[in-house]
Amino acid sequence: MVEEAVSGTSLLKKLRRTERRKKIEAVGLITPLFVLMLIFYFIPIGLMLYKSIDNSQMREIMPHTARAIEHWSGKGLPDEPVYTAIVEDMKVAYPNRTLAKAGRRLNFDLVGFHSLLSKTGRKLRKLKGPPYKEALIKLDKKWGDPRYWTVLQRGLKNTTLIYLLATLDLRYDDKNNITHVPDEQAIYVSIIGRTIYISIFVTVLCLVIGFPFAYIMANATTRVRNLMMIGLMLVFWTSLLVRTLSWILVLQNKGVVNSILMWAGLISQPLDLVFNRIGVYIAMTHVLLPFMVLPLFSVMSGIPSYYVRAARSLGATSIVAFFRVYVPQTKPGIGAGCLMVFIQALGYYITPALVGGPKDQMLSYFVAFFVNERVNWSMASALGLMLLLITGSLYLILGKHVSITNIKLN
Amino acid sequence: MKTDDVHVSFKNVQKSYDGIKLVVKDLNLDIGRGEFVTMLGPSGSGKTTCLMMLAGFEPATQGEIMFDGRSINNIPPHKRGIGMVFQNYALFPHMTVAQNLAFPLEVRKMEKAKIDEKVQHVLDMVEMGEFGDRRPAQLSGGQQQRIALARALVFDAELVLMDEPLGALDKQLREQMQYEIKNIHEQLGVSVVYVTHDQSEALTMSDRICVFNDGIIQQAASPDDLYERPENSFVAQFIGENNTLTGTIDTLHDGLADVTLESGEKVSAAAIKVGKVGESTMLSVRPERVIVNPDESKVPFTIAGHVQKLIYLGDHIRCRMTVAGNDEFIIKMPNDSEDRLLAVGEDVRVSWKPEDCRALDVI
Amino acid sequence: MALPIHASTGERIWYYAFRVICGVIFIFLLFPILTIIPLSFNAGEFLHYPLQGLSLRWYHEFLATGRWAVAVKNSFIIGVSAATLATILGTIAAVGINRTDFPGKQLLVALLISPMVVPLVITALAVYLFYARIGLNDTYIGIILAHTILGMPFVLITVSATLQGFDYSLIRAGANLGASPVRVFFKIVLPNIIPGVVSGALFAFAISLDEVVVVLFVAGPSHRTLPRQMFSGIREHLSPTFLAVATALIVLAAMLMLTLEMLRKRNEKLNSPV
Repeated sequence: MVEEAVSGTSLLKKLRRTERRKKIEAVGLITPLFVLMLIFYFIPIGLMLYKSIDNSQMREIMPHTARAIEHWSGKGLPDEPVYTAIVEDMKVAYPNRTLAKAGRRLNFDLVGFHSLLSKTGRKLRKLKGPPYKEALIKLDKKWGDPRYWTVLQRGLKNTTLIYLLATLDLRYDDKNNITHVPDEQAIYVSIIGRTIYISIFVTVLCLVIGFPFAYIMANATTRVRNLMMIGLMLVFWTSLLVRTLSWILVLQNKGVVNSILMWAGLISQPLDLVFNRIGVYIAMTHVLLPFMVLPLFSVMSGIPSYYVRAARSLGATSIVAFFRVYVPQTKPGIGAGCLMVFIQALGYYITPALVGGPKDQMLSYFVAFFVNERVNWSMASALGLMLLLITGSLYLILGKHVSITNIKLN
Repeated sequence: MKTDDVHVSFKNVQKSYDGIKLVVKDLNLDIGRGEFVTMLGPSGSGKTTCLMMLAGFEPATQGEIMFDGRSINNIPPHKRGIGMVFQNYALFPHMTVAQNLAFPLEVRKMEKAKIDEKVQHVLDMVEMGEFGDRRPAQLSGGQQQRIALARALVFDAELVLMDEPLGALDKQLREQMQYEIKNIHEQLGVSVVYVTHDQSEALTMSDRICVFNDGIIQQAASPDDLYERPENSFVAQFIGENNTLTGTIDTLHDGLADVTLESGEKVSAAAIKVGKVGESTMLSVRPERVIVNPDESKVPFTIAGHVQKLIYLGDHIRCRMTVAGNDEFIIKMPNDSEDRLLAVGEDVRVSWKPEDCRALDVI
Repeated sequence: MALPIHASTGERIWYYAFRVICGVIFIFLLFPILTIIPLSFNAGEFLHYPLQGLSLRWYHEFLATGRWAVAVKNSFIIGVSAATLATILGTIAAVGINRTDFPGKQLLVALLISPMVVPLVITALAVYLFYARIGLNDTYIGIILAHTILGMPFVLITVSATLQGFDYSLIRAGANLGASPVRVFFKIVLPNIIPGVVSGALFAFAISLDEVVVVLFVAGPSHRTLPRQMFSGIREHLSPTFLAVATALIVLAAMLMLTLEMLRKRNEKLNSPV
């Protein structure tokens, strides 16, 4: 008995050891890829997300001011040491041209700051002091305005929420409270709304078009099914830009669609079908349709014909059988297809940029816009964070109910 | 059976899927009210197709199907009012058991209270009263089977079709369900058309069995007739265990045929489906009807047998021997103390009563 | 699916309407792609029908223009490198993932395939900001690494799918017969999962070939790829040469698709019992 017990534990140990070895092997095999992704994907995304609240650049430009202004109570005007510190900082920053950068950043918060800093910078050499407090106020009376100091104090902290607030059309007021921006400046909430609206619309279109298509495909003869599958896969594999270009040509004023409609006498003037919302809907639906059809088809081809037959034998008309028995069983496919289409649509950039007008651009476009045209990485990152937040939360909420494994790649 | 008792009738029904090959060839069959008819046959014999035509899922290419005295060829399945139990049960996975059972009543626009009452009644009938809120996936195979049966019965169908309903169950459960289905059939008095390829199931349950092969009903008869009196070689070989010997007819008299086997030995058999004198015939004799080492004076003939193998099975002994060139000749001998046990390699004489052996067509 | 003789009028209408709708959808699906092909052979300079005679001039221009040649070269350098890297790393990782269960496996898999769901513009921005720090903007290696990450999830999925049909006892059998783990991988595992590996590689290649957002952010003028060239061209000066390029890309897509179809059939044959 004793011997058995001993050999029993050693067996368990051996088993554990082989299990552990297997795990170590598995981890070893995954590590190279994971390290690559960590360095070139996860860390960059993390840094980008931090960029949306990162304010350290300001502290580098105005190190003395940053330290001095920390102790200011925020009431009235700061004392002489703060004025001295800012003059010192500007003396370094102006010739380095970093002062302009700080000006642009602070202008984002309070219009007028940029011109104040550049004006002060220009006249810095003529400034007499220390003490500088009165000299600065004399130079420009904005230096005697507590609002500017409030913004400066907030602007010299390590992190800032102004970009994230801006993506929700919010900002700080003079008293450091969060308020709405004036209506004429409020654009981002409507852009987010538009992004979600377009994505929902495209998802619904894809479902309405994709469902009958997948249904016929799942129930057709092998020959018809193969033909449909080849058509679908050809579209799926064709470059996004080629498909977008095709739609521009087909939908343009002299394009095939307008020509056919005019020839048929249905219209006398060409319709505006592209470079507007209609074009965005058509092209995006076309591009995303395979992502709806493929999961639907894979679920539908797994539904045996006997369910509908059973419903019919129980007295249901073919239409009742279809809607009450067949359609509910396709729910996993509908869920997976809609999730896939919707999440992809949220992040679309190229297609709306090419076939849409200025009012049809989505969040991604503005991320690119802030990088390439405004060189405002913080704002781009803040919008990116919003986009990631919407996509990610949807993925987590819906992903629980639908399995992404329903999406097959063939 | 009187004509007005006919519930379902197939009249010259033919079916072809591709327009070339007939899956069902000229089917004529009357099914009586309250009768339990089984369609038995190998796969591809046309039995399921017949069921599908009756249910309305496949149109008949030719001929007419009558139900309650009227043609139903042009009636869609949902208006036929025929209950059906599917091979895989076809319980709707997205509905609870109770919703499944309520479905046929809802589409018939029955009142809610009435529906609930009927659903509970039928659940109790199949002894599943507690399971109304479960999903089909939460039930065992046998329980699903009961629900499928209940669903086919809940809307008071007078005819219930069953397509291999017990195929997915294990042997023990299958036997229990056979008994229960039979019980319900007798209780409710519905007509049942039952499709299976399992002959013991068919023999246990049916009033009448239609043996299908090659799109034709080979024989439609009660279970004992089918076993005792097969009308052709296919049925003889398909139902139960059977020994076959081929030979040539010497004489035909008084319903008996004298046959010379391929080994040259002469035997007698009942002439059932034979041609003229001089033509070939296939003899069919059940293993339990063969007599070993008989008293030669009491039998009309004996032929030689050579024991190849003995298998001890408790209540009887199974003996494989070579008889008239057939190496697979099987004999079942009761295990009674009187009989001397045979030994492998022994040479014996075998015989049978002429009426126990049937001379049939050659296949 | 055939219409039964006892169908009601409503069912008949439904039946035919359904088919008509599907035909329309099929046309919607293929129509834009098919209209672009004849236009690329147009002898004239217009981008619409009717054709003004047939010619190959735009193909000639496509092949003769230096800008396009550079773009094609860049696309292939980046695509082949990214696909190779993604395939090697993805295949090895897929073998590891399917080897055994370990805590946090699901989370790890979700992280590894996340580049499929994260909007491209976010990947592009993140990579761009990161490259700005380490000086990888305007380099081949920068684009290749980003494309490797974008293509890798597809390798992971296709290889995992074939690994699911793979009998791990073959590895033990191989080891039992005296082969080293590396030898077992190349002689036993790889031949069995090769259809998945190749389709994964083709996917990764196609993803890279089609990708434009990352390129838009991180590539300099000398690293312009085909889609990048098309993107700016469509916005600024659309010419029939684009149609020739598009047609070439459609042909490439068809070839990729057929190759994958062949691989899929081969995989089915390998996995199905004889």
